[in-house]
Amino acid sequence: MNTQDLCSELKRLIVSELNLKGRSPDTIEDNAPLFGAGLELDSLDALQLAMVIEEKLGVRIPEGAEARAIFASVMSIATYIAKVQSG
Amino acid sequence: MTSARLWVTGLGLITPLGADVETTWARLLRGDRGFRSIQLFDAQAQRAHVAGEVDGFEHPSDPDDALAGWSRSSAMAAAAAAEAMRAAAVDVRAARVGLVVGGTTGGMFENEQALARLHAEPRCRATLTRMLSHPLSAVGDLLNYRMGPFARVRTLASACSSGANALVVAASWLLAREVDIVVAGGSDALCRLTLSGFNALGALDPEPCRPFDKRRRGTNLGEGAGFLVLERADDARNGARRVPPIAELAGWSVGAEAHHITNPAPDGLLVASLIERAISRAGLRPSDIDYVNAHGTGTPLNDAMEATAIARALAREAARVPISSSKGQLGHTLGGAGAIEAAITALVVSRNMLVPTAGLDEPDPALALVHVPHVGREVPRVRAALSNAFGFGGMDTVLAFTNPVLEPPRSTRTATQRFCAVITGAAVFGICGLRGWDGCATLPDQRFALDTVVDPDSHLDVVRARRLDRAGRLAVVAVQHALGSNGDARDSMGLVLGSAYGNVDDSAAFMHRIFEKGVRAASPADFPNLVPSSPAGHVSIYLGLRGPTFMVADLATSGESAFIQAIQLVGARDAPRIVAGAVEPKSNIVERVLSSLFAYDPSQADAERADLAAAVVVESEQQALAQGRRVLCRVGQYLEWRRSDVAPAPLTTLQGPRLGRAEVVLPRASKDIEVLLASTPWGSCTKVMCNCALGESDALGTVALAVAAGRIAAGLAEEALVLGISKGRGYAVVLAA
Repeated sequence: MNTQDLCSELKRLIVSELNLKGRSPDTIEDNAPLFGAGLELDSLDALQLAMVIEEKLGVRIPEGAEARAIFASVMSIATYIAKVQSG
Repeated sequence: MTSARLWVTGLGLITPLGADVETTWARLLRGDRGFRSIQLFDAQAQRAHVAGEVDGFEHPSDPDDALAGWSRSSAMAAAAAAEAMRAAAVDVRAARVGLVVGGTTGGMFENEQALARLHAEPRCRATLTRMLSHPLSAVGDLLNYRMGPFARVRTLASACSSGANALVVAASWLLAREVDIVVAGGSDALCRLTLSGFNALGALDPEPCRPFDKRRRGTNLGEGAGFLVLERADDARNGARRVPPIAELAGWSVGAEAHHITNPAPDGLLVASLIERAISRAGLRPSDIDYVNAHGTGTPLNDAMEATAIARALAREAARVPISSSKGQLGHTLGGAGAIEAAITALVVSRNMLVPTAGLDEPDPALALVHVPHVGREVPRVRAALSNAFGFGGMDTVLAFTNPVLEPPRSTRTATQRFCAVITGAAVFGICGLRGWDGCATLPDQRFALDTVVDPDSHLDVVRARRLDRAGRLAVVAVQHALGSNGDARDSMGLVLGSAYGNVDDSAAFMHRIFEKGVRAASPADFPNLVPSSPAGHVSIYLGLRGPTFMVADLATSGESAFIQAIQLVGARDAPRIVAGAVEPKSNIVERVLSSLFAYDPSQADAERADLAAAVVVESEQQALAQGRRVLCRVGQYLEWRRSDVAPAPLTTLQGPRLGRAEVVLPRASKDIEVLLASTPWGSCTKVMCNCALGESDALGTVALAVAAGRIAAGLAEEALVLGISKGRGYAVVLAA
């Protein structure tokens, strides 16, 4: 999967796994912040998302401060996954 | 107003440090730590697998074989309660003795073993049946069987504050003089589900935990049980042998943050206010407090929030008052913690010895606290001490203990009110749709189709409700509707919700995922919904209710239990208004195990249970009238009992109908209830059966109360008796115009 495909897949997972009913995956912007002001997700969502990414995409997101940077936006997660998958 | 001093006259402890009070106490003072790599089950794949385990309860078995298997939670509770009752010389035949048990895991460890077998053998019916043999209320049932008969038994869950709230419930009974002595505490055994869940949340330290330390990374789980014997000082035993008090339970305060299902509110405002209210209820000032036993889990968020709250509530006294957390030695014993740590705090004020925070090498400079690092120490005096207990969903409790010699009572202490309870709101949500009190008044005799779609989402903001499981959603809809336009002043509104079995299906699904895919597949978002108190937490968060919040469990009479407890809390001034409800989502496992239509192939059996939630609003008549709320009905008399061959059934004191049109509203029809009813003056009254319209549900007790309140408010009846029974327990409530 290229980064763009990964972004689409991640948006789909965010809506379905975090139960964002009524939200269309297409309306999530690649670079918009996921937490706080953006989608208003929180640390519990980040943990759930990390578990789902590991299960569905086979990539383990590191914990702690590193995770914070990776979870900044859909694009930053996709970039990290692409890097791990290519590496 | 009446008042009473509440004495602690007995303690019992089973902890990772020892199987009794004195061993635990001595090792606490030495700074011993009770941690090891888990041996109870294979936990090596878990990120953190260090925990405080208790030895000696590996294969509990009932020597009489009269009960179908003990759980470890039950066995530890029995041992701790027995020690406390011995110490206080409690004789259940010589006084009215009540029992309150707090917990969260109950028989989950045993259920997991059944699930593991079911996972291997999906059609195994015997194993499925075992899944329901350890409901949360089984611990209290076991204790009642072994050490009772108790005059009454309450099982409650408020996650990690359950054990502390058991004491709050005990206090409400003693202040109302409904019992003379209460044995109250909490018990929780380790299990795979909680270990996997806390790991998934990243809340566990892989090393022994370090509360308040700069390097703290999380808590460790522990297991154990703590029980306290409480009694009124003024009439303890009526001249029978008096046991000197260990400490006085002088004050307490309970509330909910209404913030987040797992994370504490960083501002610590609720906890600060609970500390202030507990101190004030005890008639004390912050300058009287000489020690705080903190919740102190060792997670970065909890310890920061707690330090902020303590600093705010104790103000300049915070620079003087030593604080420690026992979690660095016992781990977080979840439903046991609030009671175990309350017992430790009672010993601190009794013995003038401070227990330490083990593992605290580098105190976090951001937390402005006075610590007791590593080992305990003697101090000149501990006049009064606080014990904090916080639970998932922000259900928090602060207890204040005083030394009865050093700290004589103040006049304002533990006053209670004589009052008439009234119902000012009612709602039922299920296959009958969403009905308010008027719709409840005319519930039809005929069954609604059991496959009617019950759609809570059409009544909810689905974005805000995205974390709520089905029980949470059903409960929010019922509570919201019962509050109606009476929903103002939610800051002090309490919530007591009943549920017999909790979230069995999702717990099974959670464990199946782990059995199938490994521990890393444990869902952090699903785990909080498996905690038995989660529906109450969700309702509190969604609706902003910030009063006392917890669940009770009492099989098919869980709704009746919640209602009576709500009245008792209002009477003890724990909250001015409380919503009492019950919720039971449709469950495949419950359906398959309990359905009387159980067929050889369970998938072919006709369903007879349906989604159901119901709620009624309880407050004092004086307040309802003062605030201009419509009173649906008054609560005349309420009784609760356990089957026993010794004490006369309290039902003999049931008053007869006094007004013209009297009815009996029954949650469900049965031969047993007909016999029971015939023994009362209500035997010839018209009967209304709630299960006729709604199918079977363990939440029907609250429906019966809502129906009775609705019928009285609608003028269809002037008086009603609600009578609910279930396996050795019963409740009767008389409502009147």
